Amino acid sequence: MDIKLPNSTLRKYLTTKASAEKIAEVLTLCGPSVDQLHHLEHDYVYDIEAITNRVDTASAFGIAREAAAILPLFGIKATLVNSPYDIKASDLPERKNTKLPLDVEIKDESLIPHFAAIVLDKLTVKDSPDEIKNQLELSGVRPLNNLIDITNYLTLCFGQPVHIFDYDKILGHKMILRESKPGEKVITLDGKTHELKGGDIVIEDGEGRLIDLCGIMGGKLSEVDEKTKRAVLYVQTYHPKKIRRTSLYTQERTLAAQIFEKQPDSRLVIPTLIEGVNLLVKYASAVVASDSIDLFLSKPVKKTVKLDLKWLNRLIGFDFDYKTVSSILSNLGFKIKKLSTYVLEAEVPTWRLHDISIPEDLTEEVARVYGYFRLQSQLPVTANLSVLTDPLLDWEYQAKKYLADLGFTEVFNYSLVSKEVFAKANIDPNHSVSLTNPLTTEFESMRRSLIPSLLMDLENNQGKIDLPIRIFELSNIYLTDEHKKNKLPEERSILVIATQGLDYRHAKGSLEAVLQSLHLNNVNFIKQNDDSGPWQQNQTAEIYSDKHFLGVFGTIKPEVKSAFALNGEVVLANLDFQTISNLANTNFGYTPISEYPDLIEDITIQSDLHISELIQLIKQESKLVTKVIYKDSLKNKHTFTIHFNDSKKNLSQEEVNLIKERFLKIR
Amino acid sequence: MNLNIYLKQLNIDAKQAQTFSVLKEIEIKYLGRTGVFNTEFDKLSKPDKQKNGQEFNQKKQQAQEIINHRNQELIEEESKKSFDVTIPGILPPIGHLHLVTQAIKEISDIFEKIGFIRRRYPEIDTDWYAAEGLNIPKDHPARDDQETFYVSENLVLTPHTSNGQLREMEAMKTPPIKMINIGKTYRRQIDVSHTPMFHQFEGLLIDKNINITHLIGVGNYFVQNYFGKDRRVRLRPHHFQFTEPSFEIDITCGVCGGVGCRLCKAGWLELGGAGMVHPAVLKNGGIDQKKYSGFAFGWGVERVLAMKYNLPDIRNIYSIDLRILNQF
Repeated sequence: MDIKLPNSTLRKYLTTKASAEKIAEVLTLCGPSVDQLHHLEHDYVYDIEAITNRVDTASAFGIAREAAAILPLFGIKATLVNSPYDIKASDLPERKNTKLPLDVEIKDESLIPHFAAIVLDKLTVKDSPDEIKNQLELSGVRPLNNLIDITNYLTLCFGQPVHIFDYDKILGHKMILRESKPGEKVITLDGKTHELKGGDIVIEDGEGRLIDLCGIMGGKLSEVDEKTKRAVLYVQTYHPKKIRRTSLYTQERTLAAQIFEKQPDSRLVIPTLIEGVNLLVKYASAVVASDSIDLFLSKPVKKTVKLDLKWLNRLIGFDFDYKTVSSILSNLGFKIKKLSTYVLEAEVPTWRLHDISIPEDLTEEVARVYGYFRLQSQLPVTANLSVLTDPLLDWEYQAKKYLADLGFTEVFNYSLVSKEVFAKANIDPNHSVSLTNPLTTEFESMRRSLIPSLLMDLENNQGKIDLPIRIFELSNIYLTDEHKKNKLPEERSILVIATQGLDYRHAKGSLEAVLQSLHLNNVNFIKQNDDSGPWQQNQTAEIYSDKHFLGVFGTIKPEVKSAFALNGEVVLANLDFQTISNLANTNFGYTPISEYPDLIEDITIQSDLHISELIQLIKQESKLVTKVIYKDSLKNKHTFTIHFNDSKKNLSQEEVNLIKERFLKIR
Repeated sequence: MNLNIYLKQLNIDAKQAQTFSVLKEIEIKYLGRTGVFNTEFDKLSKPDKQKNGQEFNQKKQQAQEIINHRNQELIEEESKKSFDVTIPGILPPIGHLHLVTQAIKEISDIFEKIGFIRRRYPEIDTDWYAAEGLNIPKDHPARDDQETFYVSENLVLTPHTSNGQLREMEAMKTPPIKMINIGKTYRRQIDVSHTPMFHQFEGLLIDKNINITHLIGVGNYFVQNYFGKDRRVRLRPHHFQFTEPSFEIDITCGVCGGVGCRLCKAGWLELGGAGMVHPAVLKNGGIDQKKYSGFAFGWGVERVLAMKYNLPDIRNIYSIDLRILNQF
């Protein structure tokens, strides 16, 4: 929650010689961060980030309180002045006129810890004085008229939202605070009609009309206008979760809602009401026309936290003495009781009740106000661990690096994709992990295959860069199993290698090189007979290492190429990298080099078998065959270069000829 | 002993030699220890050897000169060649690792050197690990900051790598715990500084007597190794539900060196969140919070990349235009 705070407003509550720059600097180091300090002609504005648990800092007074606690540690005197907590009941102007009736009924006391209201008469609606208008404008609020401006000004000063109703528009002069019923409608001040889901906090008047969407925005029906003479000034705190829920689904993230959902201090309600009456008397000629209605339905319970200084010093890594700790906490509003030399008890101030509950919370207060920048920097000394990283992570990097070295460029696509792109790639989009709140249909479900993304990448690069294109992605895919509802989706590491404008053999060569670099045993390619999926039948192989299925490699179907408007040969491998990682071998050993020279012969075999089968058969024919290199084919005549070697002696041509004879019988 | 015939033959052989290795073979054939010359000489009787010794040495020397001469010719032939040395080389296909892969490798190497174990935990996880177990109750305003994608009521795309904290505590059971969890994270936002998918690196250290100064130390160690040895961190107060105290970590601006410039906030750049692990989180992870304390941080991989290379638009990291990717 970001607030804009004029320096002039801050200085009403803070007396110090510190410059605005110095205040911004020390707040950033030790308190709420000042994102920016704007220098204006007659003033400064601090852009302040009031963090979620510190709604007490979302006001001029709250920031003054922080600055007053922090500045002394920089050797600068600072005093907090005009505290709303010093406002007394006797500061409320007396009622002089006849009493105007206001009947309040609260249906459920858990909705509203503190309800306060007062009726004012004889109001004059006009512009606010320049001083108030200027401060509001600098804080980012548009001045409207004195009545509205004063409510906004109170919020700027104290961080307590305030509302003002036109008394004469509250029919029956009755306010019934209750939960909304499903389907009820309320028109808010911004002119929007909200159909309520039920369970929202609302106020109904004597005629059953909704006049307030509580904690979010006032109702149009009871809006003050230039004719308003009599009004109800209304200050309160609400059940935070109810406010948050209504604010989120009505998409009314008003300042009031953002404050109320974070539980502001209920002890500020009455001081704010009294200050408001005084401002209205001063600037709108108001006179008090009722007793103040003060229903403090849920009073905060006193809370104390014990703090052991030895423990505190261990967690911070510093040597604080009792005096420093107790003075920092006292300056922040804690009441300190000394229990022993090293132990104190801190009573939490009412504005920090929802934020401070354990010693760690006090530790933060002491350390930050003292200044983290004053602490040492040291590397921890810990025992070494005997656990190992999952080898998958290392193999992934190794394969990526190898592919990059082979000339492939790594791409990173979003895991989130549209279902439509799956249909284009002829891949079933069902059983994907889908989002219930996608950002757009472009990012509606989690990829169960990387292939569509890579095809899209080729499409997007076509015409921009010369062929051939070599790309790869190594990422997780996400698989659900409807039968295992309680299990997490499976996240599996997959490698897709794609080439465009490169022939099958060259693409396959790169793939074989990667698999070789991982030292997989006995990799073989077997013709795939399945025609489903993006690959072209008769141009696609399944890849195995021994009996383990590694993936599929082949040419992309023309139908799929057409869907992505891809030209040229597109060859793609989809590999289960988890399995590859399991099989990857670091313990591969080596074969000694024979002392005797190879005899090398070319041989042509006529056969209808697959080339890989021929190579297997040639190798099986004799132990003297050490290497078989495929040369080329003419129809079903295939030529191979074959190396023969005997590690024990020089081979004779006769021995080799005998083996060659046997090759020719292979069919 | 008639060596002249061999000298004649050597002359022919040497002239035909076009390479240094062939010439070397010829030299060995004639002048080697068991070469033609020595073999002929060995055939002689002892007195003949004495008689012909001088002539033999002369002929051998002539043979060596023939070889040396041809060798010199070959050297001169090759030295004569001349070409434009500025001619562009013929490149092999050149591939590129993605910037994110490079950064992850660099980051994990830096942390592994000080004993942090690299981990990867689920990207789709239960609300317990991603929020509730991290002390973020349902309908808490702190959930606003997370912009979470939901798969179902109980299943989310992890908006941070902090789900790895509880998972690591459960896996290790007793400290010391030293983890660097790097993974994909997701948030419902896209603009100049946000992509719906990004990467975080999550450090977690739990042991006896771990304090704030250790987080400062590890922060400085990281930024000095990753960004440069003159950089340092500072801690600013912040709030996260799963740490107490909580910090925002800034590093000194690399452009102005910390004095303040157009690119930074008064000399500092925001790196990311950190804090001392909240006792409730330790408890949820089954760690004895009386005995152990720890710190955690979760920083963006793309964020540190953008800071290191001054990338103005973080979405460019996820460009799939090869004209960009091929520059990485």
